[in-house]
Amino acid sequence: MENGEPKINSMKLLLIIFLSLPLVLLAEDYEVPKTWFGDPDLQGTWTNASLTTLERPDEYKTLIVSDRDALIAKRMTKQFVDAQDNYLEPGETPKAGADVGGYNTAWMDFGTELFKIDGKYRSSIITYPEDGKLPRRWIGWGKEAIAIARMFRQADHPELRSLGERCIVGFGSSGGPPMLNVLYNNNYQIVQSPGYVMIMVEMNHDARIIRLDSEYNPDNMRRWLGDSIGYWEGNTLVVKTKNHHPQQKFRAAIRHQILITEEATITERFTRVGNNEILYQFEVNDDEAYKDIWKGEMPLRASDEKIYEYACHEGNYAMANILAGARAEEEN
Amino acid sequence: MRYSHAILFIWLVGACINGISEELPRGPNGNPDLNGVWQVLNTANYDLEAHPARAAMQLVEGPVVPIPHPDILALGAVGSVPAGLSAVVDGEIPYSKKALKIREENKNNWLDRDPEIKCYLPGVPRATYMPYPFQIFQSESAFFIAYEYAGATRNIYLEDPGEPPVDSWMGQSWGYWEEDVFVVETKGFNGQTWLDRSGNFHSDQLKVTEKYILLNNHTMQYEAILEDTEVFTRPWKIQMMLYKRIGKDAELQQFKCVEFVEELVYGKWRAKD
Repeated sequence: MENGEPKINSMKLLLIIFLSLPLVLLAEDYEVPKTWFGDPDLQGTWTNASLTTLERPDEYKTLIVSDRDALIAKRMTKQFVDAQDNYLEPGETPKAGADVGGYNTAWMDFGTELFKIDGKYRSSIITYPEDGKLPRRWIGWGKEAIAIARMFRQADHPELRSLGERCIVGFGSSGGPPMLNVLYNNNYQIVQSPGYVMIMVEMNHDARIIRLDSEYNPDNMRRWLGDSIGYWEGNTLVVKTKNHHPQQKFRAAIRHQILITEEATITERFTRVGNNEILYQFEVNDDEAYKDIWKGEMPLRASDEKIYEYACHEGNYAMANILAGARAEEEN
Repeated sequence: MRYSHAILFIWLVGACINGISEELPRGPNGNPDLNGVWQVLNTANYDLEAHPARAAMQLVEGPVVPIPHPDILALGAVGSVPAGLSAVVDGEIPYSKKALKIREENKNNWLDRDPEIKCYLPGVPRATYMPYPFQIFQSESAFFIAYEYAGATRNIYLEDPGEPPVDSWMGQSWGYWEEDVFVVETKGFNGQTWLDRSGNFHSDQLKVTEKYILLNNHTMQYEAILEDTEVFTRPWKIQMMLYKRIGKDAELQQFKCVEFVEELVYGKWRAKD
C-alpha cells in the first residue's frame, strides 16, 4: 500500500512520536500483578474478537496494515453488517425457494476492526511463514479431504458432522490450542489457583485446565483440546500441548480451517502486557500436516461483558432436523 | 455466679471455634482455601431420600416382585441401585400433592425423562453430588467450579450480579463469605434439570442457597437449602460431606458425554445401509 499511505509532515510525525512515547514507556514499565500465591496474574474475562483472521487475505501484502487500510476494513465490515441486517425491508418476507438465511448479525461478534500489536494493525494472526499463510503439506491434508468435504454436506450420521454442530467443542479452533477467533462467542475467562491455570472457553463451556509443572497423561488418553502442561518463564505462561483428540483433527470455522494431527505439539505463550491486554503467541509443530512450523500472535483484550451459558447440546434441534430432513427427502 | 459461668462458657466455645479455625488451610484474602478436586461418597444422585438397594432405576411389574425395565435388563447387577440414607435433613422432600404425583411419574418414566441420560447439564445442586469429581478454582477475584460430568462449568460471581437476565441450566450464582463459610445463592434456572435419578425435580422458580463449610484439609460439609413455591410446601435442606481427592486422583478427567449419547438421541435418523 505504498501509494496509498497518507502523507504526514515532519511536525505531525514528531507530535505522534511524542504522544506515543508515554504509552511505550508504560508498556515496558508495566508491573505485572501477582496472584495471592505469587504467580503472574492473568485472571479476568478476555476476548480475541477481531477482523484479523488466521491467514492473511490476498488483498494484504504485508503483516502490518496501514491506518488507512485498517479504516477501510472497518468501514467495509460495517457496510456488510448493515446489509445483512437490512436483507429484507420491514414487512417483506423471503421469496419462495430463496435462502432464508442463518444468523443475523445480532448473533455475531467478530469485532469491528483489525487488531493491533505494538500499536500497529495486523493483517493476519500468522506471523510465520512471512506470507501469512498456512504451510500446508497437501499430502497430509489430502487424507482428510473426503471427510472435510462431507463434513458440512452429508446427513448420514451425526459423527460425520463438525464438532461445533455436534456440540462437542466450539467451532474451528475456538477452544484451541491454538485458540483462534471465530464468528461469535470469542470470550475466555481465566482463573488461577496454585498449580493450575483454568481457561473457560465460552464455546462450548470448555474448561481448559492447564496443569503447571506437571506430567502428561499416558498417550492413549486423548483429551478434547489436548493435554496441556504449563510453566512460567518470568512473567510469561508457557503451555505445551500434545496428545490431541483424533476427532479434533480438522477444525473448521468460517474464518479458519486448520488441521491438527494427533502427533502435533503446540506451544502457547501468555504474557500480560497491560491491565487490559494479554499478548497471546503460539507455535504449531505438526510434520504430518505442514511443511514447516507456523507461528501466530494476537492480543486478548479485557472485557467487561459477562459470559452466559453456552448450552449447545441441550438445544441442538439442528442436528436432529438435518438428519431427519435427509431421511424424509430420501423417502420422497 | 451464673453470669461468670456464662462468660466462661462463651470464652471456651470461642476458643474451640478459634482453635478449629486456625487449623483450616487459608487461601485468598485469608478465607478458607477450598481449592482442589472434591467429590461426594454417597448415593444421593440415585435418590436424595433414604432408599434400599433395588434391582434397577426403572422397574416394571414382575410375576412376583418388580423386575428391571426391559431396556436396562441386560445391565444386570451393574444397572442396580445401591442403598443410601437420606441426604434430606428432615428425611423427605416436602412436595406439594400435585408435585409429588409428578415425581412419581418421573420415577416411573426415568429412562425417558432423566436429563442425565441425555448428558444434559446437571443443574444445581445435583452437579455437586453426581458420581464425578469437580474442581474448585478459588482466587482473590474469582470462584469457579469445573465439573467432570458433561464438562459443566459454573462461574460464581463475587459481587451481586442482580437478577439473572436469562434462564439457564446451571443458573446464575452469587457467592460471598459469612465468616469461614462460603455461601452461594443460585437462581435463574430453566426448570429442566432434576435433583437425582429418582424423579426428584424442581421448577424454574428454584432458588438454591449453598454453604461450603471447610472442616479440615480433606473434608468439607456441603449444605443446600432449596426454595421453590411451585413445587415444595416449604424450604428444605440437604446436607452431605465432600472429600478432597489427593495424589494422582486429584486430576479432573474429561467426561464429555455428548458424543456418548448421539446414538440414543439421533440414532433413529441415521441413514440406512
